[in-house]
Amino acid sequence: MLKAAYRIAWKDMVGDLRRRSSLSSMLFFAIAVLVVFQAAFEPDRQAAVKLLPGLVWATVLFTSLMGLGRVFQAEEENGAFEGLLLASVPRGIIFLGKWLGNLFLTLLVQAMILPLTMILFNVDAWHVIHHIFGVLVLGILGLTGLGVLLAAMTQAARSRETLLALLLLPLVAPLLIAGVQATAGVMVADGQPWPWIKLLLIFDMVYLALAPWGFSWLVEE
Amino acid sequence: MNLLARIQRPLGFMALLWLGVGLWMVFNAPIDFQQGNSVRILYAHVTSAKMSLFSYILLTIASITYLVKKSETADIIAEAAAPVGAAFTAVTLASGSIWGKPMWGTWWAWDARLTSMLVLLIIFMGLMALRSSLEEPTKAARATAILAIIGAVDLPIIHYSVVWWRTLHQPPSFGGASGNPTITGDLLPPLLVMAIAFILMGAYLVVVKAREVAALRQLEALDIERMEEDD
Repeated sequence: MLKAAYRIAWKDMVGDLRRRSSLSSMLFFAIAVLVVFQAAFEPDRQAAVKLLPGLVWATVLFTSLMGLGRVFQAEEENGAFEGLLLASVPRGIIFLGKWLGNLFLTLLVQAMILPLTMILFNVDAWHVIHHIFGVLVLGILGLTGLGVLLAAMTQAARSRETLLALLLLPLVAPLLIAGVQATAGVMVADGQPWPWIKLLLIFDMVYLALAPWGFSWLVEE
Repeated sequence: MNLLARIQRPLGFMALLWLGVGLWMVFNAPIDFQQGNSVRILYAHVTSAKMSLFSYILLTIASITYLVKKSETADIIAEAAAPVGAAFTAVTLASGSIWGKPMWGTWWAWDARLTSMLVLLIIFMGLMALRSSLEEPTKAARATAILAIIGAVDLPIIHYSVVWWRTLHQPPSFGGASGNPTITGDLLPPLLVMAIAFILMGAYLVVVKAREVAALRQLEALDIERMEEDD
């Protein structure tokens, strides 16, 4: 069973890596967002340290929207989604595969965005970068879980990318709050990231439990 | 649907009656010691806040019923509850802002209840947008039902994360946890009457909207039937 999920995820990962279009467009979109933030806020060094958690999370959120908009694109274009649903595996497993594929892509992009943000904004937090990345991973688990479900919901809709953003952004508000606070918490020596990490974990568990179930209701014939 | 058609008019009359009596009581209630005349806004504000939550509860129950039983009536009620809930949420936010300006000195504060109300409004809008942008009716019904359930799970998380955020990082922006003094004595009866009036009004609006949705669906079905005959 899990093998099927792994196959679906593998297919998506290989596709993303070979085409490189989603990867590079997400990355350059992230850079564009960072340029916008720099131009909009013009932070000096001290302000940049305070801004960094928010900057990183806002960039993560916007770039992940781009990746999510494409999760079901290949299936949609070639009518392959019906084929996928005909496969004799539970719908939850199909969801798991699509989710893992998107998780991989998003994590890959964020792994590049985080050091890039720190370089472009002159923030010296290299000694805690693994902690920040850990917090990011926790947030991205839930973000992609909910995101892939919403992508499945909106894939047949008109103007689906706008709709996806409209639905996802308010629902992930707690994730954003917790992620930003936890990131700020791990960046200073006497910070208190734990309550926020707990909130991130709650969010992850709720959405990773809810999403496969919602997906199987959604695609039911 | 026949039942809805029969209760629509009596419900409307009742709502109007209670609303009239309620408003009369509101304008004859004594003014608040601290808040002066602006306390009267709260009679509409508190009641519509309750109604926006009621609408979401109705929407969630209807959505679950639709997913489990595949009953079209449940889906029609879910579709009808969304705009009614959105209207009550918008009234809550607007009246709260108007009350907040003289009382707190600001139109808006990012506290837990305001933030979750704002997100609730966006979710109502998202539900309507999702339904209208999906062509296939069953797909639209299923997707909105699932989204409604996700929203129902999300709203408490949003509420508590903002409470947490605020209590850990800055003291509440205004006196006490809520800023509302407890309501006593002469202010209570008009509030109760207004609450009943708003419940009746909400029920009336849902009935009207549900009948409209049902009629539109029938019309669409007739259109499809006629086109098939033409072929």
